Amino acid sequence: MSTRAAIEVRGVTYAFGRQGVLRDVSFAVLSGQSVAIRGANGAGKTTLLRCLASAIRPQAGEVRWFGQAATSEPATRRLVGWVAHETHLYSQLTVHENLTFAARMCDVPRPAGAAERWLHNVGLWEQANQLPSRLSRGMRQRAAIARAMLHNPEILLLDEPFSSLDIEGKAWLLDLLGKIRDQGRTICFVAHDRETVAQLAQRVLELHSGRVREVECRTCGTPPALPARVA
Amino acid sequence: MPHVRNTAGAARKGRLKEDSVVEKLWWIVHKDLVSECRARRVWPAMLLLGAVVALILSMEMNAVPGEKPRLVSGFLWLATFFAGMLALDRSFVSEREEGCWESLRTYPVPPSTVYFAKLAVNVVALAALQAVLVPLFAALSDVPLLAHPAAMLSVSLLGNLGISSLGTLLGALAAGIRHGANLTALLVLPAAIPVVLAATEATSLAVAGDFGSAWWRWIQLLGIAAGLFVTAGWVLFDFVIEE
Repeated sequence: MSTRAAIEVRGVTYAFGRQGVLRDVSFAVLSGQSVAIRGANGAGKTTLLRCLASAIRPQAGEVRWFGQAATSEPATRRLVGWVAHETHLYSQLTVHENLTFAARMCDVPRPAGAAERWLHNVGLWEQANQLPSRLSRGMRQRAAIARAMLHNPEILLLDEPFSSLDIEGKAWLLDLLGKIRDQGRTICFVAHDRETVAQLAQRVLELHSGRVREVECRTCGTPPALPARVA
Repeated sequence: MPHVRNTAGAARKGRLKEDSVVEKLWWIVHKDLVSECRARRVWPAMLLLGAVVALILSMEMNAVPGEKPRLVSGFLWLATFFAGMLALDRSFVSEREEGCWESLRTYPVPPSTVYFAKLAVNVVALAALQAVLVPLFAALSDVPLLAHPAAMLSVSLLGNLGISSLGTLLGALAAGIRHGANLTALLVLPAAIPVVLAATEATSLAVAGDFGSAWWRWIQLLGIAAGLFVTAGWVLFDFVIEE
């Protein structure tokens, strides 16, 4: 694992109106690390991931990917693949067209071919020409995962990627993310399932009252004691 | 460094290529047009509203015989504006409703490319609307709107560009406002008045075959307004789309 920070979060603050969701959040994720983010419903996990993906701009603070501002030029944006809480697929485009469009936006060569390859990888080849509305939630989730990985991003951000997958799907995704982690890529994911977190995450961050704290780290030397309510 | 590996290094290996901005713009336009052709959410309603407005207004077209070309030109541009607002209002709303807007923002695409792609789709929508409305108004009023097709085309293009550029920018703003649906017309109308007026005057002069200095002044005003609004959209779009 590299000692270089893949993601740096510095003093990020975000509020919906008067309701503060993230309060001066700061942490760093090293290149090649796999980090889980946990927290109660409404703790701000999705907002934090949206900030990390630069889908929204924090009202204060900044996010940097490999030392570069997350909102900077297109080449930097290619570093990140994002699986949002919702699948964000265009309802009037087929699954194949959705993936091809994303590949084109991310400058992937031979976009249609790349889309086909990933449709095979995620087991959606037979559904390639169907509209997302014809697919189950789990299948749409697989399509969203494929879309995030089309351009081989260095950083993968996933918001509850296991939530709508069946047992087989969860095993498949765990295997895939494990391989990606072993390739030295950085993974940051939101998950509630303790078993999933234990299998995949090297570090666990918890969001509480808009602030983040580390509750577990297997790669930081002496792991901090687990607070009673988390344990 | 990973970012080098991901761009220059990867490009060397043939893993990534640098798509030109124009290509990306085209694929966003293509995606929007394909989606609209399949869903038929906006264009049929827009064309129907334009035709209904034309039919209703045609009853008043003979009220002032001497002013008929001017009246018909005014009605034509009002119908274009209000029916066109349906398309302008929806150009960002549907993307936001499906949640795809955030994904689009995370792609390596400059915001100005998204603006120009949406603008292009809206210009096509208004052009389609006018392709129906101009012959319809001409048939209902006996005013020879197509007597000078090149002049009519110029006025239509500049007028459409002025309304679309403003509508695209403010449509993005309205789509970002909670409960902001259908606000676009209210936001666009005050700023679009010079465009609608200039287009009306230029159309009525073109119908009369009067291509003197007055016609050119109106065309210049249309061109300046379109240029200003396009520039404003290009510069301000990134700020307007912030939540």
